[in-house]
This record gives sequence, structure tokens and C-alpha cells, in this order.
Amino acid sequence: MEPAARLDNNHELTLKEFPYIIRWRDDRCKRCGRCTAVCPMFSIAPTVVAKRVVSSSGANPTPQVERQVVTVIKQSTNIANYCTGCATCTLVCPNEAIEPELNPNNKFLINKNAGGGAYTRGGRRNDPLVSTLDRLKFTRISMLTDPALDAGRHEFRIRTYLGRILPAEDLPVKFVNGSGELDATAGKFIPPVREIYPVMIGSMSVGALSPTMWEGLAMGITYLNEVEGMPVVMCSGEGGMPLSLFKSRFVKYFIPQIASGYFGWDEMIRAIPHMVEDPCAIEIKYGQGAKPGDGGLLMAHKVLKLISEIRGVPQGVDLPSPPTHQTKYSIEEAVAKMIQSMSMAWGFRVPVYPKISGTRTAKAVLNNLVRNPFAAGLSIDGEDGGTGAAYNVSMDKMGHPIASNLRDCYLDLVKQGKQNELPLIAAGGVGKKGNLAANAAALIMLGASAVSIGKYIMQAAAGCLGDENNRCNVCNLGRCPRGITTQDPKLYRRLDPDKVAMRVVEVYKALDTELKKIFAPLGRSTELPIGMSDAISADDPAIAERLNISYVC
Amino acid sequence: MVDPKTEIEIKGNINGSRVPSRLMEEEIQQAVRGGAGRVLVLADGQHGIGGRIWPQGHSVSVIVEGQAGQRLGSIGMFGTEILLKGSASDDVGWLNCGANITILGDVTNGAHNAAAQGKLYVQGGGGARCDTMTKHNPKFNPPESWYLRDVGDTFAEFKAGGIAVVCGVNPRNPENILGYRPCVGMVGGVVYYRGRIDSSYSQGDVRLLELSDQDWKWLTDNLETYLRAIERYDTHYKELSSSREAWRKLLPYTAQERAKRSTVKKTMADFRKDIWENTANENKGVGKGGIFAEYVTHPLTPLPYITTGQDRRFRPEWRNAKYAPPCQAACPSDIPTQRRAALLRAEKTQEALELILQYSPLPASVCGEICPNLCMSACTRSHLDRPLNIKGLGSASLKTEAPKPAPKTGRKAAVIGGGPGGLSAAWQLALKGHEVELYEAEEKLGGKLELCIPRERLPQEVLTYELERFKSIGVNVHLTSKVDAAQFDKIYASNDAVIVACGAHKARKLNIPGVEDTINAYDFLRAVNTGQRPDFKNKHVVIIGAGNVGMDAAAQAFHAGAQIVTAIDVQEPAASGKELEIARTLGTKIVWPKFTAKFVKSERKIYFTDGSIFEADEVIVSIGDMPITDFLPQTVHTDKNGWIKSDEAGHTSDPKVFAIGDATSLGLVTHAIGHGKKAADAAHALLSGRSYNRPAPKMQINYAKVKDAYYERCNDTSFTPQNEAHRCMSCAVCRDCHMCEVICAYGAISRKETADDIGYEYVVDASLCIGCGFCAGVCPCGIWEMTENI
Repeated sequence: MEPAARLDNNHELTLKEFPYIIRWRDDRCKRCGRCTAVCPMFSIAPTVVAKRVVSSSGANPTPQVERQVVTVIKQSTNIANYCTGCATCTLVCPNEAIEPELNPNNKFLINKNAGGGAYTRGGRRNDPLVSTLDRLKFTRISMLTDPALDAGRHEFRIRTYLGRILPAEDLPVKFVNGSGELDATAGKFIPPVREIYPVMIGSMSVGALSPTMWEGLAMGITYLNEVEGMPVVMCSGEGGMPLSLFKSRFVKYFIPQIASGYFGWDEMIRAIPHMVEDPCAIEIKYGQGAKPGDGGLLMAHKVLKLISEIRGVPQGVDLPSPPTHQTKYSIEEAVAKMIQSMSMAWGFRVPVYPKISGTRTAKAVLNNLVRNPFAAGLSIDGEDGGTGAAYNVSMDKMGHPIASNLRDCYLDLVKQGKQNELPLIAAGGVGKKGNLAANAAALIMLGASAVSIGKYIMQAAAGCLGDENNRCNVCNLGRCPRGITTQDPKLYRRLDPDKVAMRVVEVYKALDTELKKIFAPLGRSTELPIGMSDAISADDPAIAERLNISYVC
Repeated sequence: MVDPKTEIEIKGNINGSRVPSRLMEEEIQQAVRGGAGRVLVLADGQHGIGGRIWPQGHSVSVIVEGQAGQRLGSIGMFGTEILLKGSASDDVGWLNCGANITILGDVTNGAHNAAAQGKLYVQGGGGARCDTMTKHNPKFNPPESWYLRDVGDTFAEFKAGGIAVVCGVNPRNPENILGYRPCVGMVGGVVYYRGRIDSSYSQGDVRLLELSDQDWKWLTDNLETYLRAIERYDTHYKELSSSREAWRKLLPYTAQERAKRSTVKKTMADFRKDIWENTANENKGVGKGGIFAEYVTHPLTPLPYITTGQDRRFRPEWRNAKYAPPCQAACPSDIPTQRRAALLRAEKTQEALELILQYSPLPASVCGEICPNLCMSACTRSHLDRPLNIKGLGSASLKTEAPKPAPKTGRKAAVIGGGPGGLSAAWQLALKGHEVELYEAEEKLGGKLELCIPRERLPQEVLTYELERFKSIGVNVHLTSKVDAAQFDKIYASNDAVIVACGAHKARKLNIPGVEDTINAYDFLRAVNTGQRPDFKNKHVVIIGAGNVGMDAAAQAFHAGAQIVTAIDVQEPAASGKELEIARTLGTKIVWPKFTAKFVKSERKIYFTDGSIFEADEVIVSIGDMPITDFLPQTVHTDKNGWIKSDEAGHTSDPKVFAIGDATSLGLVTHAIGHGKKAADAAHALLSGRSYNRPAPKMQINYAKVKDAYYERCNDTSFTPQNEAHRCMSCAVCRDCHMCEVICAYGAISRKETADDIGYEYVVDASLCIGCGFCAGVCPCGIWEMTENI
């Protein structure tokens, strides 16, 4: 041990290394302790400092020393307690005395591997620049050419189809009294198809999300269907579903996900005979945009009674979802076995589709699905997708942007004349800068039948503080200051599911208006402009060329 | 001169040839400019008839017969009366600015679109998109549109003003006389109608109301004029004016109402109750409390960010003395200097000086003189100025009288060896009231303190004084009583416990040629201390092994007259502290790494494996000592070199036998004293018939928890126990300063008297505490700790 006298600032980091620096105002602070009581990272703590003032007040030098020890709020220089910039301190401060400030010159990543562990976090790719999706604009404004529509006046029916749509000639049709009807007795498999709202809530599990957040989303979705008549659906994420929901009438608005951990599935399978409705669809997760090639891990400290019962596992154990499905060795196997098994579970009445992360190999998967009569679609999650926990390197440096990946896949379908048969679902960074409707519409025009959102809805519905300057992004630690991604009741009870649900409703109502504003000038009111790429342009020639759309300036 | 009665007839078809709209328009304008008051148009599909007739000082009447084209009366002006004797085409009265237009038939799509003033009287019904975008300029009366039958779809869209009346007589669709989705975007004016409509009207824009008195008065007042104009007064006036209840109106919400109106169709609370949680058969919802209620035990209500009691994330705990102060943690004798300082600050000087005697019989000799004072190296105060002078505090206890031993227990213990470890064990056992027999092989007590530590480092009078104090508590000391196997058996049989503290007095042998001509350091130092100092005058002395004993030997070699003293070692020398300082000051050279090959006394040379050669008259080997433990029975296990196997409390393989100090492994004097105390505690448990409870090791307090900001640098280096006591930061031990109580903004902390030794504690009122950690943050001693509130 070093003698005490020799301990100093050796090996201590300066605050300039840190990503956010706390600006604390002594003159405003009343030392009420609210900020330190809520700091999720213990980045700030009260302590005492000594002040020594030497003054002279007489006519001659008459030195006087005044010494004061005062209480201050100090920021930690321990990298484990780095300030994430979440600003919960600012939120609770009654005097506006404290606020984190982004330090663009930080050396956070250089130091965050202290202890030898690679940096893990939640959130998504830390790139605050404008994404490709935000560089696309809708340039076909019909005034006197196509029938111009009025978003405020005309009725719109913004819907899409989830499930394989057989070409007319392949449909077994019989004619009854002069009109055509599907002939169910023809012995031909007619794939199940759902009509849904084209913007769905992507897979976020019970576990990754707190119960209050998950229920808020689920309630919001159900409200939209039941009260507003908008068929918005939501994917469960991998972690099972509360059985009370699974066995309710509302399960038809949900897409249970099965992934490599298979968590919660035994619970759900046993409950199938008690179901009163079929689920909307089944999503098989093979990959995730936020962490391509990597799986998931729910830390043992999050696996409390609730998670344990829903997922069907013991309490207090780590729950890894490996990067791959252990018994699936090839696309053919993965697709054939899993899709068929999951289809079979509901008597082939439920669409089953896989989800992969954005990748240069997406077309190979797609072409396989095209040949699989039971495949109901393909969901592609681009590199800007979010997650509750992943290695920073996976999040920041791995994956494929969604725009060109989706476009390639769509054009591939077009080449085969299958673009109206197999729906593509696009995800990853939709609404990253707040332009939810525009990003969604752009993806639809590039060829997506539907888009999936995650991070956006967390930010909009529950005030998620995370951003692409790595603000907050501690979902993996279970210390979410908003109560969104934690299993700690003291934190998740900060979130009122009813308010989350109402925000979901508001988001979708506003989204619907904006989508109408985008679709109306195209003259589209009832049919989604899927692949209508002559309606969009890029302000960058390279992007335009790559996406095979027009360049405008 | 104008004659309003002048009637001009304009033909739309001359000799079978249709007159273009442009020429007919010119003709009409010319006629009016020419003073015509009545223009009879025999139309053949011409557009825009009757519009743009600017006021001429008299009214102009345009009577249209035949087939009128689109936009009849569009951009019509005040003073223009247009009568169409038949049905009209699209856009009748478009952008009407004041004309009164009467249609004795139906109008098609877009009638009165964008009308701002004037009137449209329709004898039949309207097509789609009639009355859209009409407005009311406050400078004029609002436009009016009257339809006797019904109207088509999307009626009155974006209507911003004006009055529309749809009488519902003989409608084409009796179920819905206003068509599909009327009033979208309507913000002004009113639509009166009579008959049925469906629910497709824009309920977000307008509300459906019954007619007020004023409405009814206006309607009935104006109905006659309208019906007379369309020649239906006699047939329909009664029917239309007979029942106010048959009429309704659609009135737009005002901007203020619109802003206030909730767009929420159902509150989330109602949704939760009626739909989400409702498990009635027809609903099949998720059940009471929502989808997670069955999995959680906590209330389902939201929590604020700032919480108290059970809902706090963290709670403060007053953990007085939970951690060890750095000084105490570093001290092998476990001396609680911070308690001594607290007593001194409380002006209990005598108690303070006595306290240390509970831990060591030799504070002045060891703490005060020869100890390297690991406590001071660890002292937190050195962050600020310099460590507490614990050495001085040790010396201060020199003249303090021995504590009074406890009453006799009647149990007997023997201690073999009167060195520091044996003295410590005997002292502790005697203080606890046991009868102690101490066997010492030499003529004097003190072991290596007496025999090997140079007098310049340990003044003899200090040691002698403390040994006298030791004897004063009644230990039976047997000097020159070397214990052999037979005697050990006797001692073993006649005592309840035996503590072996025989030390290490056999020098380790170096296996080199010429070793027989070397001297070992133990013998050399012992000779010096017993007055048999050898004469090294002008000699070159090489010391093999540059540890602290080597340094003592080096110093004594100089005192014996040596000219050059060189200490060599195979690795970086372990010498430190005062021993090193004295040896260096005297001129000792330290050289490493050196591996000795041989010593040839006759050549006065020592050879090393690297080929180098030093001159050497004398070679002193100081590579450590080993114990002589061959007197022990088989039941007490030793290793092959004779070291006795024992634990930190001295337990050996024989339950009655304890072994401590250098007999178990080489260490500092303070190690032996600490080991002695712990072994005495363990033996005491044995003698008392209790099981020994090993004290839980305390972790040293983290320096950062001790707030040195409270203390001012002290530039006065003069020593008094009081000064030192005030400099002590009381690490990990509460100094009862009340900082926590005062800093707490919520009044959650208070001080409570207790019946224990300490006499007080600080407690937290959980119902007030928010878990902010200010108590922990300001505590000078690091007592408060924030723990997860589970």
C-alpha cells in the first residue's frame, strides 16, 4: 500500500475527459439534496470544500484570514460514475442550479474500458448527424396532374398488409352468383394476411422494458385499435407476454416474438388452448439492427419475480439470448423449420415472418423466403435501431443502414415480379430526428410495406432521455431515470402507464395526420405508395444514385 | 339616358350557330352599359352568364331561358338579379359578390362555391360540393343559399361564413338530405336543414343543434321571399314553417371552443376501466390492475422522483467504527489511536495514556522508539500536513502506571520466552487475572529488544522502565530458564495454557566456501549489546543481507571501528526507516544484486558470482534467523525448518499450546506484540471455557470518505498530546460534531443517547429522509454510508 501522504491525483482523470460536465451554481443551490438523491450514476455527490480568504480592511496592511468550510456538489472523476448527461438533476432542481453540459472534446471511449471490460450500453448508434432517411424529400406534388387530394378534406385509409399475398391467378376462386369468392375447399394453402397500420411498434421485451412502460405501450396500442379504429400493432420482443394479455381479446393487436433464448414460450404455448383470438403475427428474430451478430443478455439483477414468471425461468439468473439459434445451421433450415413450426402452432392461421439485422446478405434471406410458401414477410432492422444492452462497438460500428438495404431487397422483388407478394418491414432509426412520418413515408416509397419504431416511441411516449450524443443510454444498467428500462419498482413506478398509453395515442394521431399530408399530394388516399420512388428525391447525388431515385438540388 | 325598363333580348344561337360565351358576355356588358335594365338571354350553353355587372345606379335583371352553361352568375355583383328558368350547370354563383340568383330547377356541383355575398335560391336540389368555402365579409350581409330539396356529398366544406338552408322537400335520398360528410373544415356560418342526415357530418368541426328563437325568426322571415322567388310559396310555405322541431342546424365550433375541446374520445382512465381491464364475457380484457398486477406486490400507483421511507432508493446508515481507521488498520498491534485522541480531546489525558497499555506493555520502547510506525505512514492527516505524531504519543505513556489487573481467575498459563511477543502475551493474560509463569533463557527480559536492537535506537533506560512496569503486575518471571523437552512437558502438565514465544535465534546458514569464517548478525549484535563488542578498527566489513538487521549490524560495525562497511544483497534491499537512515549516515555502501561465491579470509577477499571481488576483513551474515523449537512435543506441529505452524491468534495443532512472534515467522516487534495479544485473547477464551470468537476483520476506511477540508494545515510542529489529539481526523469513528444533523435539509437526522459505551448514536427518521446523501457527504469522519434501501 502506498503511504497515505503519497496519495494525490495520481491516475485520476480530469473532468475534461468526461462526456458531460456538471455545471453547478453555488449561488443558486440551496443544498436540498434532490439532485444527488436522483442521480442514476452517482456522478454527483455532496462534499465539503474549504475556502480561505485573506483580506485586509484597515488603512494599512492588516491581514485577516477567514476560513470557511462549505458544502458543494461535486462531480465524480471515476469513470464508472461518469455523468451521462441525463439531466435528471436538472429536472428535480427547484432552483435551476445544476445542469450537465456536453463536452465535445471528451475522451470517454478511450477511458471507458477501465477494468478490462468492453463498454456496453443501451440506446443506438451514437451518430448525431443527419441520416440518409432525413436527406430524402417528397418531390412529387400533384396539383393539376394526378388527382390532388386534400389531407384535411379527403378521407384516407392508411393501411398495409402483413402476410403473403398470392397473385390473383394463384388464388383458388370460385364464382357464386356471378361474383368471385375464395374457394377454401380447393385444398390450396391460402396464406393468412392481416390488414394493419403501416407503422408498428417494434420488438421491445418485457424485461428490456419495465412493466409500466410495456403496459403503457400495450394499452396505447389497444386504445388505438379499440377507440380510434387504427389497427396499430406491436411486437412483444423476446421475453414472453403477460398471460392475461395473451389470453385476452386484445392479443390480436400483438406480434409475439420468438428469438434464440425462447424465453416465455413454454408459458405461452401452454396457454394457446385458452386463447380467444389469434395473435396478429409471429416474428422470429434472427438479428437486430442495433447489435448485428450479437445476442441479448438480461442481467441477473433484473430477473425478479415478474420476469421470472413471464419468461418461465428461475429468479436471479443471467438470461442470455445467444447471437444465433443453436439448432439452425443454414437459412434453409432456419426458415423452413422455424416458420413452419410457428405457423403450425396456430393452425397456419397466423402470419409468421423473420426479422434480421440490416446486412449485405439480406437478399439471400429474402430470396429464400420468396420460395417459402409459409413466409409472411421479412423485417429488416437497420443499423440505427436501438437496444437495451449491447457492446458499444456493435452499436456504433456494425450493421447496415436501412435505406439501401431495403431498397436493394425491394428492387430484387421487383425483378422477380414479387413486390406485391412478400411484404418488407423496415426499421432502424425511423424518427431519429423526430421526423417520424417523413422517415416512415420515405421507407414506404423505397419499398417497405410497413415500418417499425422503437426508440422513437420511447422518447415520445415516455420521455426517454437517450440521444445520439450518448446522453443517458444506461438502459443496460437498470437505472433508467425515467423508469422505462428498469425492473426496479422505485424507478419504474415513476412512469404512469396510462400517461404512456395516452402519448402513444397522441403520437399515432399526429403521425396519421402527417402521413396524410405526405400522401395527399401524391393523390394516394387508400393505397399505400409502396415503392413509389418517383415521389422521393435525395439532396445528395450519391444517395440518389445508390437508391435509384432522383437527385434534386 | 338609361331606362331601366329597357329590355334587351340576347340570343345564344343565331341561325343555328351557337354564340361563343365571350361574344355573349360582350353583348350583355354592352347592353347594360347602354342602359338596359332587363336582359333576356336565350342561352345555348354559354358560360358565366350574368356575372361581372358592376353597379349601374339601377338594378339589372338577367332572365335566362334555355340551357345555361357553367358558372351562371359567377362573380355576380350587387344590383344584379338573375333568374334561370330551368336547371343550371356546375358552379352557379361561384365567387358571388352580391347577385341574387334564382334557379327554377336544380343546381349541379359546386353551387355557390366561394360565395361572399348575394343569394342563391334553388327551386330543386344541389349537386356535390355545394356551398363550399363560402364566407362572410363583415362589411356586407352574409351570403345565403337556399335549396328546396336536398344537396349532394361534401356539402359546405370549409364554409367560413354565410347561411345555407336545405328544406328537404321531396329529397332524392330521404335518409340523408345533406349528402356524405358535409361541413368538413367548416369554421363559420350556419347550415339549417329539415329532414334526416346521417352521422357522417364532420363532428370535429360542427355540432348539431336545435333552432333558437332567433334562428326560427330569421328562417320564417326569409322563407317567404325565397319561396315566392322560386314560385313555391303557395304550395310549401305552410309545410316548411309549420314545425320548428322539423329543423336542425349545424353550427361550427368557434376557434376558442376548438382550442379547448379535447380530441380525446375516451379518457385513458375510462379506457382502462371499461375496456382494458374489463373481463366481462363480451370484452375479455386483461383483468383488474392490468397485465402485470399478478406479478408484483407493490402498489400500482406512480411514485415521484423524490421519495421518502421505503420508497427511497438509498438510505443513510450511521456506521460508527464499522471500518478501521488507517492508523489502526496498519498497526499490527491494533492500537486505536483515534480513541486515544478522542479521550485527549475530552481532556481525559490519563485514560488516554492508559488506553495504549491495554494493547502493548511497551509503548514507549516500541511505538516511541524502534517501531517503523506503519500507523503514521497510513495516517490520513498526511494528506494535509504530516501524520499524527503517534511515536510521540507512544513515548508519552512511558511513565504511565500499569493498569490494575482483573481479579484472580485461578487459571494458570505459561509463557515461554520473554521477548516482545512473550511479554505481550504474559501482560495480557496477567491483566485478565490469570496466573502467569514466564520462562526466559537469558538473564534479562526483552529478547531481541534487549539483545539485538542497538542502544542508540532504543535507550536502555526506556526499555528498563517499561520492563519494570511489566513486572509490576505480578507475572512470575523465571530468568535463565531455558526450556528443554522435559521441562516443557512439566510446564504443559502444570498449566492450563502454554504460549510459545521463543523467537528465532539461530542464524540461517549461507552455503558458501569460507562460511565458517563469517560471523552471523544475531551473534554480533548480541555481543555488542552485552558489552562484548569486537574490535573492527580500520577493517573492511562486508555484510551479506541488506535488510534492517543488516543495517543495524552495519551501524554497529562502524561503531566497532570499521573503516568501510558494504552491505550486499541478492535483490533490492528491504532496509527502510531509521535503521537504513543511521547506517547510511555512517557511510554504509549498499550494493545489489550480488551473489556471493566464496569468502577467503586469508586473502581478505570476498568473491561474487559476477566475477567481482571486494576486500573483506570481516563478513557478517544477516540473512535472517530461524527458531529453535526442538523442545516441543510432536503434538505441536512445525515445518522442516522449525517454524511453528499457528494461525493469527496463535492456535497450534495442540489446543493448549499457542505460538507467536518470530517462532512462527519473522516480523517486526509490533507484529510480535499484536500476535501476543491475540494469542492471549484466544488463550483467555480457553481458560474461561469459552470458544474463541475471532474478531471480524475490519476493512480500512476509504481515505476519500474522511473530509480533510475541515482541517486547517498546522504549521506548528511542537509536540503535545493535546495538539496531536486535535489534529487527529477521527477516521471512521464519530466525533459527535453534529454536522449531519445540521446539514440535513429535511430534519431527518437526530442524536439519541444510548446506554452503551459510546453513549450516543445518530438516527434517521425515514419518513423525512429523501436519501440525498448529504449526511454522508459532509461527515468529517466518514461514518454515514448510503446503502441500497431494500
